[in-house]
This record gives sequence, C-alpha cells and structure tokens, in this order.
Amino acid sequence: MVGSQSADSSEHEDQPSSREVWANGICMKTSEVEAKLDEGNIQEAESSLREGLSLNFEEARALLGRLEYQRGNVEAALHVFDGIDLQAAIQRLQPSLSEKQQSRKGRSRGDSQHAVSQHAASLVLEAIYLKAKSLQKLGRLNDAAHECKRVLDAVEKIFHQGIPDVQVDNRLQDTVSQAVELLPELWKQAGCYHEAMSAYRRALLSQWNLNDDSCSRIQKGFAVFLLHSGVEAGPPSLAAQVDGSYVPKHNLEEAILLLMILVRKFNLGKIAWDPSVLEHLTFALSLCGQTSVLAKELEQIMPGCSGRKKAALNLLRKSLHKHEQPDDLIALLLAAKICSEDSHLAAEGMGYAQRAMSNAQGRNEHLKGVAIRMLGLCSGKQAKVSPSDFERSRLQSEALKSLDAAITFEKKNPDLLFELGVLYAEQRNLNTALRYAKQFIDATGGSLLKGWRLLALILSAQHRFSEAEVVIGAALDETAKWEQGPLLRLKAKLKTSQSLPMEAIETYRYFLALVQAQRKSFGSLRSVSQAEDDRVNEYEVWHGLADLYYRLSHWKDMEVCLGKARELKQYSAEVIHTEGVMLQGRGQVDEAMSAYINALLVDPSFVPCKILIGAMLSKRDSNALPAARSILSDALRIEPTNRMAWHYLGIIHRVDGRIADAVDCFQASCMLEESDPIENFSSIL
Amino acid sequence: MSEDSSSSEETNTPTTSISQDTFVTETTTTSAFNIPPEAPPSSSSSNVHLAIQSLSSIVTTVSPSLLSQDQDPAFFLLHNPDISSQVSSLLHLPDSGAGDNNLCRWFYDTFQSSEPNLQLVVLRFLPIIAGLYLSRIVLKKPLAGFEAILLALYAHETTSRAGQAITVSVPDLSYPSIYHESKEPPKDINSAELNLAVISPSLEPHGTVRSTRRARIVGVALELYYSKIYLMPVGSKIDFCKFCKVWSGQDGDICQDGEFEDDQENLELQDDQENLEFQDDQENVGKESVHMEGRIGLPWELLQPVLRILGHCLLGPNKDKKLIAAASAACRSLYSRSLHDINPQAILATRSLLRLSKMALDPNNNVDHTEIPVSNVISL
Repeated sequence: MVGSQSADSSEHEDQPSSREVWANGICMKTSEVEAKLDEGNIQEAESSLREGLSLNFEEARALLGRLEYQRGNVEAALHVFDGIDLQAAIQRLQPSLSEKQQSRKGRSRGDSQHAVSQHAASLVLEAIYLKAKSLQKLGRLNDAAHECKRVLDAVEKIFHQGIPDVQVDNRLQDTVSQAVELLPELWKQAGCYHEAMSAYRRALLSQWNLNDDSCSRIQKGFAVFLLHSGVEAGPPSLAAQVDGSYVPKHNLEEAILLLMILVRKFNLGKIAWDPSVLEHLTFALSLCGQTSVLAKELEQIMPGCSGRKKAALNLLRKSLHKHEQPDDLIALLLAAKICSEDSHLAAEGMGYAQRAMSNAQGRNEHLKGVAIRMLGLCSGKQAKVSPSDFERSRLQSEALKSLDAAITFEKKNPDLLFELGVLYAEQRNLNTALRYAKQFIDATGGSLLKGWRLLALILSAQHRFSEAEVVIGAALDETAKWEQGPLLRLKAKLKTSQSLPMEAIETYRYFLALVQAQRKSFGSLRSVSQAEDDRVNEYEVWHGLADLYYRLSHWKDMEVCLGKARELKQYSAEVIHTEGVMLQGRGQVDEAMSAYINALLVDPSFVPCKILIGAMLSKRDSNALPAARSILSDALRIEPTNRMAWHYLGIIHRVDGRIADAVDCFQASCMLEESDPIENFSSIL
Repeated sequence: MSEDSSSSEETNTPTTSISQDTFVTETTTTSAFNIPPEAPPSSSSSNVHLAIQSLSSIVTTVSPSLLSQDQDPAFFLLHNPDISSQVSSLLHLPDSGAGDNNLCRWFYDTFQSSEPNLQLVVLRFLPIIAGLYLSRIVLKKPLAGFEAILLALYAHETTSRAGQAITVSVPDLSYPSIYHESKEPPKDINSAELNLAVISPSLEPHGTVRSTRRARIVGVALELYYSKIYLMPVGSKIDFCKFCKVWSGQDGDICQDGEFEDDQENLELQDDQENLEFQDDQENVGKESVHMEGRIGLPWELLQPVLRILGHCLLGPNKDKKLIAAASAACRSLYSRSLHDINPQAILATRSLLRLSKMALDPNNNVDHTEIPVSNVISL
C-alpha cells in the first residue's frame, strides 16, 4: 500500500510515554488539551488545537473526538462528533472526488489534490466510524448500526466504481474495512438478524478492496451466523448472481460454500490457519452426512461414515501403528466396529477390541463396556468362519460371555439386547433368544423394525406360526406403508410354511403393488431410514413367488416369476439355484446339475447349491460318494445349523454303511428342524 | 396416493388411534377455537382472546385481565417466566400426556388456530413436551395428548413444505460461485456433479404416531422449532438442553475425553447449579425420576435436528451464559453417548461443537478487529 503523511505503524514501537498529537508536521503534547476537556470545555480545547496545529474547525473536532475516544470517554467523544456536520462534509466530498476519478490519467497534476481529497474523506469517515463505535460502547446498538451504515453509504457515493486498488489512502482503507466488518456485528448485537444478513452479503458481494484477513474474518463470521443463528437468509439478490456461477439455495449451502472457500484460502497460504473453520465445516458436513467431501478436502477423516469402510480401516490401521498412536481409544473402537461387520476381518477386530479394553482406564473407563461389546461381536463373527468345530464353539461361548459382561456395563443400551438375542437365536437357544427379543422391543418402544423381525423369526423357529403372524401384524401397524416390505416378505413366508398358498400369494400381490406404487410416487429423495431398495423388494416378491409355485409344482408360473426375478437381479446365485430346483423338479437332472454348478461359480460359498449337488451326487453311484461327502462337509463348515446338509450327510453315511455316524447326522437334522426359522437369523443384521 | 395413505393411516394401532380419535372429536365438538386455517387476519385478536381465556382456567398465573394491558398478550405468554414455570410443572405431572388432559388440548387447539404468535407459544414448550414424550414411551403411560400436539406440528411442517425433502448440494469449488472466482472457464453449473445430500427426507402425512415413525415425527417437530428458534426465549432452549442430557443417558461430566477438560472446569459450578435446579423441578412435580432414566434411542433423524438446535444454543448470536453452560453440558453428554454407540457421524458433529464452544471461551479468539489501534501518537 502507498504510504501517506500519517503516522506509520512502525512509529508505534517507540511510543512516547505521554499522548501527543501530530498534524501539518507539528507535534503537540495533549496534557493541556485534556485538562480543558476534563473541565468540559470543548470549545477551548478545540481552539487551542486549531491554534497549536493550524487546523480548521472540522479537523480539530475530529482530532478531539479521537482523543476522547481513545481516552475511553465515549460519551464525550460522541458529544464532540455531534458538533460536526458530517452530512454536509460528505456532500462536499462527492463531486470533487468523482471528478478526480474520471481524470485519473492526468496523474502528475491530480495527485496532490487527490491525496488531499482522500485525506478529507478519511477524516470525515473516521469521525463517523468512531461515532458508531462510541454508540456501540454506550449500548445504543441501533444508532451505532445506522451511523456505521452511513460510512458505507458515503463510501459508495464517493467512489462510484468501488474503491481503487492502488491509489487509496492507507487510513481511509482501514476505516472502510473496519466499518464493513463492524456493521453486521452491530446488527447482530442489536438483534436485527435480517439486517445483519444483508450487511454480511453487502460486505462480501460489493467491492471494498478488503485484505485477505478481514475478508476471511467476515466470511467466517457470516458462515457461523448462517449455521447457527436460526434465521433463514433466503437466496442472494439477483444482482449478485453471475451467469453460470453457483448460487446457494439456503443457509446451510451458503455456509458450506464460505467455509470451503476459507479452507482453500488457507491451502493457498493466503490466510493463517484457523482451526475453528475446520470444526465448523466438520459440523456442517456431518449434518448433511457428507463426510466424504470433508475427507476429499483434507485426506483425513473420522473413519467409518463415508461408506468406504475399507479406506477408513486402512487409515485406522496406519494411525494405530505402533509408531503413531497405538492407544487411541476412539480409533481402536472404530476399527473394531468396522471389523465386526465382516467375518473376514473379525479376527483383526478382536485384537483391536482387546487393546481397547486394556486402554479403557481412568477417565475412559466408561467405554470399557463398549470395548467388551465389540469383542463379543467380533468373536461371534469370527466363529462363523472358523475351520474347526472346536474353535467355533469356543468363539461362540466367548462371544456370549463378552456380550453378557458388556450388558453389566451398559445396562441401558438396547442394542446389546438385540445382539444377544441374535446370537442366542443363531445357536438355537430359542427361549433365551425370545426373552431378549421381547426385552429389546420393550426397551425401544417398538420403534425399530429389526426387533419385530427378530421376534417373528424366533417364534417361527419354534413353529409358533400364528403367534409370529400376530407379531408381524402388530409390526405392520407400527410401520408406515413404504417400509412394510421386509415384514410382508416374512408374512408371505409364514403363510407358505403353514401351507396356505392362496394367502401367501395374496400377500405377495399386495407387496408387489406397494413396491410398484412406491417407485411411481417417489423420486430418489425418499426416506431411506429403515426401508430397503425398491428393486431388492420387487426381486424378493418374484423370487418368493417362484419358490411358492415350486412347492405347488406350478412349473409355468414358476418360470414366469423366475424370469421377472432374473430381470431385476442378474447373475444371482440364488436365482440360478432356484432355476436348478425347477429343472430338477421337472426331471431335467443334468441341466439342474449344471445350474447348481453355475450358481457356485457365481458365489462359491452359496450353501443351498452345495447341499443339492451333494444330494444328487450321493444318488448317482458309489464312486461319487466321497465327493458328495466333502461338498456337504464344506456346506456344514459354512452353515453348521443347516438341517438339510446334516440329512444328506446322514444318507451318505448310511449308504457307506457307517450306521452310527448316520444316526448322529439324522439326529442333528431332526433337532435342527425343530428349531428352523423361516428365514436365516443373520438376514436381520 | 397421499390421500389414500393418510386415510388408511387412521385405521391402525388400536391404543393410540382410538384415544387420538376421541381426542380430536372432543375438540371439534366442544371448542369454539377450532378456527379454520384460512381465517382472516381480523380474527387474530379474538383468537388470542379466546386462547388466553381458556388458558386462564388451567393455569392460575394467567388472568384474563392480561388482555387489557398494553403489551401484546401473545408476547407476554411467550416470555413471562411465571407462566412458563407453572405450565412446565403441569407438563411434568405423571399423567400430563393423556388424551383428556386440558393443557394438551389447549396446546393442540392453540396451535391449530393458525395464529403465528400463538403457535410460537406452543413451540416454546415443545422441548418439554417432546422430552417427556420420548422418555415416557417405555413407561407405557398414556401419551395421546402429547402425540396429538406433535402430530399437529408435523402436519404443519408437512403442509408448509408441501412434503418436499430438504437437500443440500455441496459446492464444487472448481466452479465459480457468487463468493469466488474460478480460473477454469465457466462451464454450465447444471452439468457439474454436485454432492447432493438429503438433510430432511420428504414428508408423508401421518394420522397417528406409529412406533417406527416416532423419531421422525418428533424430529420434524424439532425442525419446525429450529426454524423459529431465534424467537424463542432462553428458558425454552435451556429446557431443551436439559432433555438432551436425559436422552443421552450419559453423564457427560464423569466421562471426559481430556480434550474438553478445561471448559468443563469453567462451567462446572454453573452446571451443578443447573442440575440442582432441575432436580428441584423434578421433586416439585411428583418425583418423577426422569433424570438419567430417560435414555432413548437416538437415530440420525432425531439427532440431526437436536444437534442443529444445540449448535444455535452454543454458537448463535445471542450469548447467554446460562444457556451456553446448559448447551455444553448437553453436548458433552451426547458426545459421550455417540462414543458408546460408536457412531462416527455423531462423534464428528458433537466433538466439533465442543471444540468450537471451547474456542469461543478462549480470549485469544475474541480479539475485536473493529477497534482502532490505540497509540499515544494521534495524528490527523
């Protein structure tokens, strides 16, 4: 910036011990003037300044005002400023300066005059500004805001084309910047929130030639105000909108835009780092669930919410490395949680959970229960992929033990009740599971669909179908139409297992009508809280119907339904499997076999196909028996509670003459049949 | 489709819908206040008149003489501390949420009068109504009265939004905006791939509160509250903060992260006082053990509006010390709860709020940049 005749900031360092005033190259101690002011004699103070520094009336008054302001006598300062006719001063400034603007090219001639005029403008504007500040300090906020607004109006009148970049007087620019920043503050303090909004917009959308720091402060102030004032700003005026540029629709968008601009300015090194900007942005983006944007911006993120859990887990692994922060409890818990959702990561998760347990000490002791719960969930998941029976039962009992221990820490946490219910149900301890399912529904006031579904499944496993239907009925009553899909599916399956095919078909028909109506009436923005995807829902209708028609041996209908299901979900092991079942039912054994094998190629761990292949092989000839036995054992490794697998394994043992083994298998199959739910328990998770 | 669904909504949940129905029919037969929404503005003073008369039969601190005052009576109802403390005590009574409760009916009728100033009075008590309602669900108390009020608020918001979702498209800074320029040639902004986020999904009409939609209905009522929050008295916001603590089921004070220790110490004293007052409240109104017993499920549809309201209380333009103390206590509890739930989104949001409120207390962050530099050399 161009230096001016006024005091430079460098002079502040070696300040004189007592106040002095400078003007026209003359210096004067203020003690004498201050004494007069203290006596309330403004006129005399003024005249001694005018004489001592050869000033005109306005200059002397402005100087006096500033002196009083700096001495903290705001009331007196106000009195002094009231003595100046500022309106007249502004009007005097207008034509002269705008002329200068036009003849800017004749520099050598205009420069000195220009400087003088700017100097005069600066004097007047500063006086008004200090008046506003004085009023602010006296708590007269509305008046203060009006004075401050006068400064800005005056600047707009004086400088038609905005403030020129290079030629502006340092002090004038300071006053303007401060006034721009002060105005929204004043409106805010006065409780005039709508005025504050427009003052912020005026500050940011007009040309004030603000430096990066003050512009950023205003942007941040505005963003915070937009986020938290609770007052809707409405869209910016049309005048501010440039073609092709992004215009925010409401407060949250505008705030996010401003905060992102601030982060970028920091990245470019234009402003100093302000941690609160990042916190505000984090808050705003978390509200929208857009943490992935945040992650992109910073390449660091609280893992687990961006939906890209793999990436999150990798980051966590790094941050938990022994050279980083291996004991960070929150990171450990988050990592354990991500691992608990995937059986292939469960073993790793158990490690994190154990580390979290040992770190949950002191002020973090309250999180011990959470760590134990994670250990339980990971053990339960790990049990599903464990290679040996021994290992599996060890892990299962460990999982139960952990969850039971966790509930003593987290008595009030209904999630634990649900997890215990599922775990017991999977182990076919149905009475205990039932108790937990009921407790869960009570504790959540029936507000979560999964509770109702678990209860119905457990009842169905106990072959208490009519009670299960009552539960589904109650759940349907508590559910809005669009979210009834999973319940209707269960209801249809319940009807099917009670051999009520007509009622099952009726349920499916209603389900289908619902899904199709839903697709028509909603765009992509409907509620997805507890509902599932439409396509998944419709697929389930057709697949369920195909299964039903199979039981009735209605091959034509079955084929139609399968065709529909295939349209919605290509390359699904489940569909290919059902196709095989249909072919086998029609007697096309070889085609059925190749369908089963295809299904296994799509999903190598698809248990029903393994069982059917095993069953078919066992019927073929004795040479195929070892192959049949191995594929059935494989099925049982994946799903140890599958009664059909035990059944066919028993048949193979019988054919091979191992009667005792066969008895064991048939017994297992029988016991499991008595506790078989209509849908796998893990379908709820 | 929507017509269809709303009519079928009526036929569900025997317990709630029946009491709900009787509730509504009672009001239509007995009340002269059930003025249709399109009532002309001239009836506004008579609306206020009737509302105050009927309230004076329930709340002793309200007298009809209030109407003869110069002050706007609706404003008086909103801000008078005696009235709010008495209404609040009445609401805290064990059976206050029942369908035949006079106060609930007054709230319902008053909100339906479509008088904006009176609706604010109803919203002022929403924190207590929603707070007690959600905490009492597991206690299996009669709640049809509370539900009727909440459904009225939900219906109001549904109508005023025409059921539309509220979305945010997160800007892409490589395209210019009103606040910044971009070096790249401006392309069509419409073709830009913006991250579209749904802040509040579209709204379907609901005639009854179904348990699986309960959180959403209360959440939408809180969205309505948030949209008027700058008109709410501080007392109402403090009520809200207290219930956040109850809902979280966590005592934020015993479980400090270390990070938030300092502000904790600053606020501890006030906080304890708050707690004492709150417990006093409880004792005054029949010793209902809501405190620490009212833990509820906090799905995002409920937590999100809660966090926006807390953000306002902590960082809004009106800096009230008591409110900030109550809000940071609430925030600490919710932060602790989100750790227990291992809910990353909630951890991020609550932690940011706590950090920001701590920064706001730091004097280094409160430099007034609009102050002129003080120097002993004053020049012209």
